[in-house]
Amino acid sequence: MIDYDYRKPGNLEEVFSLLKEYGPHAALIAGGTDVMVKIRNTRKAPEVLISLRGLKELSYIRKNGDYHIGALATHRMLEQSDLVQRELTALYEGASRIGSVQVRNVATIAGNICNAAPSADTAGPLLALDAQVLLQGPEGERRVPITEFFTGTYKTVRKETEVVTEIRIPAEMERFGSAYWKQSRRKAMNLPIVGIAVSLRLDNATISDARIALTVAAPTPIRAYKAEEFLTGKPMDEAVLAEAGRIAASTDCCTLRDSLRGEAWYRAEIIEAYVPRMAKLAAERIN
Amino acid sequence: MPDHLFVGKSIPRTIEADKVTGKAVYINDLKRPGMLYGKILYSSHAHARIKSIDTSMAKQLQGVRAVLTGQDIPDVRVGFLKDQTVLKKDVVRQFRDEVAAVAAISPEIAEEAVSLIKVEYEKLPAVFDPFEAMKEGAPLVHETDARGRPLKSNILPLPWKFAVGDMEQARKDAAYIAKDTVSTTWVNQCCMGTSGCIAEFDQNNNLTLYDQTNVIFGHIGRISEYFERIGLAGKKIRVVNPVVGGSFGTKLDTDIYEFIAIQLALNTRKPVKILFDREEEFCALPPRQPAVFTIEQGCDKEGRLIFRHCEAILDNGAYTSWGATTPSVMIMPMSSLYRVPNVYFKATCVYTNNIYAQAMRGYGNPQATFAVETSMDSLAEAAGIDPAEFRFINRNRPGDETPMNLKITSCGLEECITAVRDRLQWDQKRGKQRGRGVGMASLIHVAGGARVTKSDGHGIRVKLDEFGHVDVIESGTDQGQGSPTVISQIVSEALGVRPEDIFLTFGDTALALWDAGTHASRHTFMAGNAAVIACAKAKRQILDMAVELIPRLVKGEFKRMKRKDPEFVEPDLDYGLIANPEDMDIRDRMIFPKKDPDHPYFKVPISEILRNGLHVGIGESRVVAAEAFYDPPTEMLNRDMKGNLSMTYAFGTTGVEVEVDEETGEVQILKLVAAHDVGKAMNPTLLLGQIYGAGYTGVGYGLTEEIKVRNGRVMNPSFRDYQMLTAMDVVPIEAVIVEPGDKDGPYGAKGVGEPGLVPTAPAIANAVYDAIGVRIRDLPITPEKILTALKERK
Repeated sequence: MIDYDYRKPGNLEEVFSLLKEYGPHAALIAGGTDVMVKIRNTRKAPEVLISLRGLKELSYIRKNGDYHIGALATHRMLEQSDLVQRELTALYEGASRIGSVQVRNVATIAGNICNAAPSADTAGPLLALDAQVLLQGPEGERRVPITEFFTGTYKTVRKETEVVTEIRIPAEMERFGSAYWKQSRRKAMNLPIVGIAVSLRLDNATISDARIALTVAAPTPIRAYKAEEFLTGKPMDEAVLAEAGRIAASTDCCTLRDSLRGEAWYRAEIIEAYVPRMAKLAAERIN
Repeated sequence: MPDHLFVGKSIPRTIEADKVTGKAVYINDLKRPGMLYGKILYSSHAHARIKSIDTSMAKQLQGVRAVLTGQDIPDVRVGFLKDQTVLKKDVVRQFRDEVAAVAAISPEIAEEAVSLIKVEYEKLPAVFDPFEAMKEGAPLVHETDARGRPLKSNILPLPWKFAVGDMEQARKDAAYIAKDTVSTTWVNQCCMGTSGCIAEFDQNNNLTLYDQTNVIFGHIGRISEYFERIGLAGKKIRVVNPVVGGSFGTKLDTDIYEFIAIQLALNTRKPVKILFDREEEFCALPPRQPAVFTIEQGCDKEGRLIFRHCEAILDNGAYTSWGATTPSVMIMPMSSLYRVPNVYFKATCVYTNNIYAQAMRGYGNPQATFAVETSMDSLAEAAGIDPAEFRFINRNRPGDETPMNLKITSCGLEECITAVRDRLQWDQKRGKQRGRGVGMASLIHVAGGARVTKSDGHGIRVKLDEFGHVDVIESGTDQGQGSPTVISQIVSEALGVRPEDIFLTFGDTALALWDAGTHASRHTFMAGNAAVIACAKAKRQILDMAVELIPRLVKGEFKRMKRKDPEFVEPDLDYGLIANPEDMDIRDRMIFPKKDPDHPYFKVPISEILRNGLHVGIGESRVVAAEAFYDPPTEMLNRDMKGNLSMTYAFGTTGVEVEVDEETGEVQILKLVAAHDVGKAMNPTLLLGQIYGAGYTGVGYGLTEEIKVRNGRVMNPSFRDYQMLTAMDVVPIEAVIVEPGDKDGPYGAKGVGEPGLVPTAPAIANAVYDAIGVRIRDLPITPEKILTALKERK
């Protein structure tokens, strides 16, 4: 029988003390769309689930210089936020393509990145938007760039005693346009075969800054640095973008593999096709 | 024909309020006193010898009431070819082989007990490809047949073969010939309600089986046969439907889990429920039969088909269920879709260590039509004729008798092809390529029953109470298809009452007469015809009462009025108007003389007659009740696989316009036109529901759905990885309803449950070809296959 205790602390201090008490026998749960599925699939549960849903103050999206997204902001909140849709469009696209409305109503952004699936739909956009992850623990707060957050498949830098409290996106991203493509066989209730997020800035017709992020392209969500380097300083034209797509899809950037959901060669084709498409879309969206 | 009040009208569904509010009792909700929960342990190998099974730990678990293995129950063979036992004790031949079963006081305990059973296996060589399995020296899936005689090959003793005409001469006469090899794969029926049953014995060992099934009477024969072999000969079997959460063909056979529930119930003397979870539904429920076809067709210079030659190989899996009989239905499109005089079709079923298959919406027809309609496009191209024109030239027509002796009565195929051509703007859009294209495919299907068992009958009972409520005891199953509404409409029309007066009881073998099963798109046709007959009888009983009672009631009323008002003058009425029941009719709850329907005294509410005529006194009380059993004058297929097995046939054409992204291989359906000859639309809204639902399922079959079986194991047993389309994936469908009216159908109706699915996948394949010039002959048409084909062309 699958059995576990469920606790719902009302503030972070209580969370820390519970985490300290149970150590490896505890798991944090917010929306539960990953945690509960995992419990059912593995038929195994931690001794105690510590719900973060009592921490209502972590449920926000605001711009105050930087963009601040509370850990408990749901995908539905991101999807329905004009600010996100207008200025962090890739994140809007990632958040609005997860699961279904029912899933998005409960699934949180911090949950999505803490689960650290290679396919996480908000991870690509957050990588392309230079996000930082704020973690709080008994010893205080630290800030980790999202590029350093994922340490392996389903693994992050978060310590057992820490809680992700906020995702922060730097103010300078308002000068970027961004776009995310989730390649999947159907339009809902699906994991991406591969995901492509691009953000960029233009200086006249020249690409002055670009970020390309890929999901399901390596053991963790990744940035395609070589492709970004290639783009920087180049004109926004078909040949340049096509070459960036080729570089992004190559072993210079990713370690594609065959899985049930898609074969490596096909994932490469999609990356190659969609890096240029997303780059063009991102460029159109520069405010 | 008089105007109908209810038939042909989009009356809202009658009983579905209970479903949408959560009141309806599905097998999931149903509990019997003292009920236990059964769970099955499946094999860990595709092919292995069982060396030992240790159930001791499972038995010790608190709350466990029984742990059974093949050693604990009679060694009795079951299934279509009797090629398996209920629990496997010596050899497992597929991953879904049932090795042991547990009954416990909760589903959780049962599941834990199953996990405590230890089985030691010795792996045996396995074979997963039917072509490999046919080769000499391939591992044998079965070493003996049901009678213990040694087998030399994996080929089943089911020689499906159909041959008409002179194939050799036809090949010589053909001006153009096209040959294709096409294949289709396993897809799951994806019922919202998973499989489940409760088996319950009384103290005399009579069985009640509460079962999610669409063939309630079909169980009785198979379970009786099983009972004879386990010492329960002659025991009564009653099958009762809870609310059924979808069928799509799933429950045509008695599945192994049902026998297991019976054995657990026998062993524990308690009701036992087995309810599949979704993983089991994907892994242990027989899905649609896969097949590989090599098809060749030829036509003359004018584009008239001369011959069709097709050989099919079916991966039968490890055991035999109804999937192995799908060739009997494939023969229908093979021989009778379009006019073709010379036909050869052969299907070979081959044992492998894969999962085995069963029925699913269309029953072999979607697979065979994919072959025929792929070939139609190939041949049209070879002959240089527009594919729509080519189909038009070869269309079936009313009055045709096909090579398998199907007698085509009503046939709207001409209208369907034309409608699709018009609605898709075919002539402007076809042949342009550049990533956009149009394609079409047609279908023929049984639409007036299907005589696959000796009786293709359907019984119905109708009774009325003194308030004018009508109880209808239907021998079919309501599996969500809308039958309660349509049957209510038919009964209302035929009896002269309203749909809200009708109360239907479905799915109880103890109450209902008999039915061959709610399959083969037959329910509206069969139940409708039976209802019309039964209602005519009941109506006559009411009218018999009416001719007795109306004069009495009218005269009694006059007497009363005279008492009240001595001045009252009794009007001079023509009682001849209501002297004979033949001169009377009932409509919209009112009884009236046909010659004067609005007669001020002779038009009487039906309830008044019933109140005054039913339970009135010694010697005069009576009931209004009638039953009818409709068994159409059709034919079983003979040894040559010929026979007019249905009273009438459905025709239809689906056309699609697609856009293909040549960089990614993605196919987008811009428009889907589904034109169907339905005889008569009984309820247009429900009909559209059938056409849309079947159409979308067809899109899934064409583009996304696939049970991925690798080395015998189902790899994607969840809706996360099994790509059934969602509400977000709907494509714009335009339905065209062709209503020629059918002389044998109730109010002219024909069956339409399956047809919408049948031509969808080949229409998409043909449109993809028109868009990008590569033909995908292997379902589903995935972006990977398209990109690969595009690369090969370069």
